Amino acid sequence: MKESEIVDMISRKLFPYILLFGLYLISYGHLSPGGGFQGGVVLASGVILICLSRGVSSAERVFPSRKLRIVEAEMFFLFLLMGAGGLLIGKYFLENFLPLGEAGEVPSGGFIFFLNIVIGLKVGAGIILICFYILKSKGE
Amino acid sequence: MTEVILILLVIFGTLSLQFKKLLNAVICLAIFSLLSSLLFYYLHAPDVAIAEAAVGAGVATVLFVVIISKTRKEEK
Repeated sequence: MKESEIVDMISRKLFPYILLFGLYLISYGHLSPGGGFQGGVVLASGVILICLSRGVSSAERVFPSRKLRIVEAEMFFLFLLMGAGGLLIGKYFLENFLPLGEAGEVPSGGFIFFLNIVIGLKVGAGIILICFYILKSKGE
Repeated sequence: MTEVILILLVIFGTLSLQFKKLLNAVICLAIFSLLSSLLFYYLHAPDVAIAEAAVGAGVATVLFVVIISKTRKEEK
């Protein structure tokens, strides 16, 4: 693929802000539109931008696919563990076991904040992995 | 406003089915996704609109374009 100076520069400048927006969507998911899935997809789209402009190998140096695979599996396990935490205190699966904060603040809504972070990391790692494998494949 | 977006959705959906060149069809599908995310926003579902704009117009379009560049360019 031919390299373009403009695409290279813009994607490098835009990359941290896309990641910041993704983290904002994840961490404010219980107060405003957004949430784990959407934030994770936005995180992944930032990494895809780097993949398209600088090549998969340079993106894979920062986000090694072995670690991404570990993160994706561990986050699903963590989600199940947090769900089972509700069973441990004698209530239903995915029952809240953290104290509820003040309404409207970021630490409100118990452990939904942490669930959003877990789901966001899992979705982001999964979509980045799909794109790595498709971009690396040889085709017909 | 909703009716205009719905008519445009039908037009772009039909166009993306009719094009023989796959790249044109994918671009029409991306416009379809953007318009439908606008429609979701007008119907007071900003949550779904963010998901549609990020997945439909962003990630899926990139994947389709990359896959087309690695396989055939036109429909058989």
